[in-house]
Amino acid sequence: MQSPFRDSPKSLNIFRIRFPIGAIASIGHRISGVLLLFGLPVLALVLDRSLTSEAAFESLREAVDTPWWGLLLLALIWAAAHHVLAGVRHLLMDIGIGSPLDQARTSAWAVILTAVIIAIAAAIRWLA
Amino acid sequence: MHISIYRYDPDSGENPRMQDYAIELAPGDRKLLDVLMRLKDVDDSLSFRRSCREGVCGSDGMNINGRNGLACMTSLSALKEPVVLHPLPGFPVIRDLVVDMTQFFAHYHAIKPYLIDDGTPPEREHLQTPEQRERLDGLYECILCACCSAFCPSYWWNPDKFIGPAGLLQAYRFIADSRDTGTVERLAFLDDVYRLYRCRTIMNCTEVCPKGLSPSHAIERIRLELVRASS
Amino acid sequence: MKVFLGQRAWLVQRASALTLLLLVALGAALLLLGPALNHERWHALATSAHGAVIIVLFFAALSLHGWVGARDIVLDYVPSTAARLSVLSIVAAILFAVVIRVALTMAAHLSPVS
Repeated sequence: MQSPFRDSPKSLNIFRIRFPIGAIASIGHRISGVLLLFGLPVLALVLDRSLTSEAAFESLREAVDTPWWGLLLLALIWAAAHHVLAGVRHLLMDIGIGSPLDQARTSAWAVILTAVIIAIAAAIRWLA
Repeated sequence: MHISIYRYDPDSGENPRMQDYAIELAPGDRKLLDVLMRLKDVDDSLSFRRSCREGVCGSDGMNINGRNGLACMTSLSALKEPVVLHPLPGFPVIRDLVVDMTQFFAHYHAIKPYLIDDGTPPEREHLQTPEQRERLDGLYECILCACCSAFCPSYWWNPDKFIGPAGLLQAYRFIADSRDTGTVERLAFLDDVYRLYRCRTIMNCTEVCPKGLSPSHAIERIRLELVRASS
Repeated sequence: MKVFLGQRAWLVQRASALTLLLLVALGAALLLLGPALNHERWHALATSAHGAVIIVLFFAALSLHGWVGARDIVLDYVPSTAARLSVLSIVAAILFAVVIRVALTMAAHLSPVS
């Protein structure tokens, strides 16, 4: 049914919405997924180079030490950590594990914080 | 108390704006609706829906300080000032805090919110065991206030095609009912990329339900029923 | 006919996710157990029968999983049919190219059976 008010204004400013923690985990899942999707072609090329020769393999190792490739790798590490953890959370909730609201809030916090901690640990290792 | 309210008058031709009000709390004021009703005495152009004023009719759903809720169920003591009131997000605004629910109820009708019984009618009534009746707890209490659907990002992006948390909770209320024989057709209707599968289990619905229900849990059960039906 | 599947796509997303979890765990175990990784060891590992299967399956499952995810994002944020089709064709082309590229890489490096 078409609404007679379909041309009326709508009040939808997502910056005025107070999002629950589950929504933050969810948008993180989406953003990290997009990052990983962009990383996929790069990964396919890295695989090819890593197998080509000893010199190519070593050049990849050296690339990781440069700031830009290092930062890209760091972003992908966060994305992979967040996406996998949030994904496992959803798979468990699919079969009813942790789907009550209080547990879902706790697991959302756990996913967000653990992914950030993993990224920080990777950054510290990279700087050392 | 300082309150900032979304104002829109379709006849003025002007864009929506926020209007600030300052009002002294009266001794009897407990809920946000109490203050809104006294504001209306001062400014009778202010429009909002309300009826039962005790969380049963589901008329006064609105966005209160960034969260959806019923004005009549929201305690004043829990609110940070200024209290910012918007109409339900994503719904077409008719006037001020009054939104158009046409689409919302169209989704409700689409899930056939009534018992389907293809068998011979019983002589007196359909009997249920206490366990069968218990399966409807947490489902039948929905008052269709739309707080959940209007807080669901998936519903914001596809309000015309996604049934939304309220409609899906109602859909599961009939799937779960032992007296209903329409489960197969109900599930077939829901197996759709828009109707059911726009849900990403964000759980914003369950966060804001003023009746403490969990549409996300109902959706989880529907998806499992669909897996069972197709295997 | 429905262009976008409901339950089927949802199941593909879940099944590919489980596959990826399993493959990553397997791959990580293979990489971490044993001596430090150099080109020689990596090459031997990647071109061994189980290594090659893990790699090809990993990229195939990742592409499938990425497809469902990209599709969901487009269905949410891109309302116009024309824009949807163009974004999704680009995604499909890239994912297809990734799988082909990995298959070619692996074919080139697998030691010929002789």
